[in-house]
Amino acid sequence: MNTAKLLRKLRYEKKLNSGQAELLLNLQERRIFSVLRELRFFLYIGILLIITGAGLTVKQYFINLGDAAIISALTLCFAAAFVYCFAQGRSYERGEVASPNIAFDYILFFGCAFYSMDVAYIETQYHLLGELWENYLLISVALFFFLAYRFDNRLVLSLALSTLAAWFGFTLSAHRFYFENYYRLYAIAYALIVFCCGVLLYRIDIKKHFLDIYLNFAAHFLCIALLSGVTEYKILSLYFPALLLACAALAFYSVQVRKFLYVLYAVIYGYIGISIVIVDQIHRQTFFLFIYFIVTSMLVIGLIFKLSRRFKENQ
Amino acid sequence: MMFVMYPPQQEENIYIRQQTQAWRRSGLITEEQLSAINEHTDIQLRRTNLFFRLLFFVFTMLGAGAVVGLFFWLLDFKDADIIAVMLICFGAAFYIAAEYLAGKYLFYRHGVEEALVVMAMVLFCAGCGILLSENHLTLTQLRIVVPALLAITACWIYLRFGFLYAAGISIVALSFIPFQFNLSPAAERIMLFSVLCVIFVFSLLADKPDLEDFRKNRYAKIQACLTTAIYLTVNLQIMGLFGLISMDRHAVHLNPQLFPPSIYWLSYVLTFLVPIAAIYWGIKSRKRIIITVGIVMACVTLATNKSYLGWTRYAWDPAILGIILVGLSLIITRWLNSGVDQRRFGFTARNILKPEEGGITPADVAAALTPGVIETQQPPAGAQEQYFKGGSSGGGGVEGKF
Repeated sequence: MNTAKLLRKLRYEKKLNSGQAELLLNLQERRIFSVLRELRFFLYIGILLIITGAGLTVKQYFINLGDAAIISALTLCFAAAFVYCFAQGRSYERGEVASPNIAFDYILFFGCAFYSMDVAYIETQYHLLGELWENYLLISVALFFFLAYRFDNRLVLSLALSTLAAWFGFTLSAHRFYFENYYRLYAIAYALIVFCCGVLLYRIDIKKHFLDIYLNFAAHFLCIALLSGVTEYKILSLYFPALLLACAALAFYSVQVRKFLYVLYAVIYGYIGISIVIVDQIHRQTFFLFIYFIVTSMLVIGLIFKLSRRFKENQ
Repeated sequence: MMFVMYPPQQEENIYIRQQTQAWRRSGLITEEQLSAINEHTDIQLRRTNLFFRLLFFVFTMLGAGAVVGLFFWLLDFKDADIIAVMLICFGAAFYIAAEYLAGKYLFYRHGVEEALVVMAMVLFCAGCGILLSENHLTLTQLRIVVPALLAITACWIYLRFGFLYAAGISIVALSFIPFQFNLSPAAERIMLFSVLCVIFVFSLLADKPDLEDFRKNRYAKIQACLTTAIYLTVNLQIMGLFGLISMDRHAVHLNPQLFPPSIYWLSYVLTFLVPIAAIYWGIKSRKRIIITVGIVMACVTLATNKSYLGWTRYAWDPAILGIILVGLSLIITRWLNSGVDQRRFGFTARNILKPEEGGITPADVAAALTPGVIETQQPPAGAQEQYFKGGSSGGGGVEGKF
């Protein structure tokens, strides 16, 4: 029996009304075919390409174009985007708010990206704040948070959180990827702040659906920072118990809310951390290494198997 | 004994349940109606969710790899033939274990049996490769035989277990073979193109209208992979595009110069025809994945068009492509929304089926990476002053002090 036959059977048994069955049959046999996901995908790719193209143009032709042209063009673009969003956007609500149209979310994201580009260009060329230039990032963070909550936009919230990470010193530039002690502590501080913000806003019932974004940022920053600590100090530091605690908390939360992505994070980060310590303790002896990986992988499989059986009805 | 591991009705029931869960999420059916559907679609196969599946896969691979490693470390074989035979034996053992788990315990997309099968495939091919290399096969012959063997074993796994990635591995392995015959670049491409087209035709012939829905869905994905492979074969500028992205100036025009003009311009025409055909076919047959692949290929065609024609590339080219994409998306949305019941020819831009929420989406990740990209695109501080020094901006190299 396929879906269409089953739907017809349910209609015959009066478990589905005829209107419902008609709609579902139309969907199943693709007489109604929604292309919304595809349109959104290409709209977003288009916006990302525009941002990339604009950035490359500024980088390559800033001498020919001149500061005035670049700054005014970028300002005009982000101002127009913000004006559009304030004019067209729906009123603020604590819960989820649907976008007024398909392009709305991306226009706001476009405006934020152009604002960042504009501010970055002005600061790189004129050094208005000198040594304190990083405070621009904090202003951007505040603006992006405001816009993300005002217009219920996940993309802008991600932008805000990654800009906040940049303020803490984490950027995509290669030389910043070293997890030295300085950055490790900042990463932990960042993760805790993000986590507290997310949980607080969730608790006071403001845009509860944003919690996952906060948790993802916090989980990765915290676990990577703690892992780097474990790599450096092995078992002789607070990093190891802290990592275990963080992973246990992630797994517990995951099981509570039945969002198993966090189990994945907890197991992977936890296993890497424990493996670093154990491999160090057995002094990299080949035989014990193999035995360790055989035994632990079986243990993890057994553990996940038990967990998956517990949530069988959810699968 | 059936050739396929799982009863088709069971797989069909799983497919039906996936659909009905999407309907429930989108509020199209009630909880009671979902239960009624579930009563009609009994599933005996043992499944798990995506994240557990990933964990099972990773840790089974790790454990199985460690077992093989420990065995070879303990026995310290020196003879290559024995190593090869042992690898094949391990491959066979893992395969039997996977069959046992899938047959006896009804593991279905569970991660464990998948990892065992993948390990079996890799070990078997590696063992055969060593065995053949020790038995007077030249390196060139080996480069043909091993991918062929990998393609066959992966194809077997796909047919038996229905793992789509096995079909993908089979296609990729097969695509390596034409490049091992020391043919001219044009002949290599023509051979690969022919092989892919033959497989594509077979997939079309197998995709009959009376098939089960899950099988139709599976064929659509394979056809999308094959269409992509055919497109990558005909587009001679793809390598150049990679060179452009990686800023490797030498790679930008490296490959296409090796082709005779007739092949070069034929490939140029095909870079337009393949996406157009894919989009048309996708729309006609309502295959979502084919439409998406067709549009992505069309974008790549636009991105490589200037390279084909030898035109100068500019920094704003991505922005123009972006504007085209945004414009087209908006025009299509508007056009669909202005139809009767916001629909035209059955297509709609309305949100009917709500996607499953996975916590964080690739779109969120891309947005999070944007500040980093903007930072890397900033011109260096004080570059303007540097530019006007030394006369690099003009003035015949005359400096201020002159």
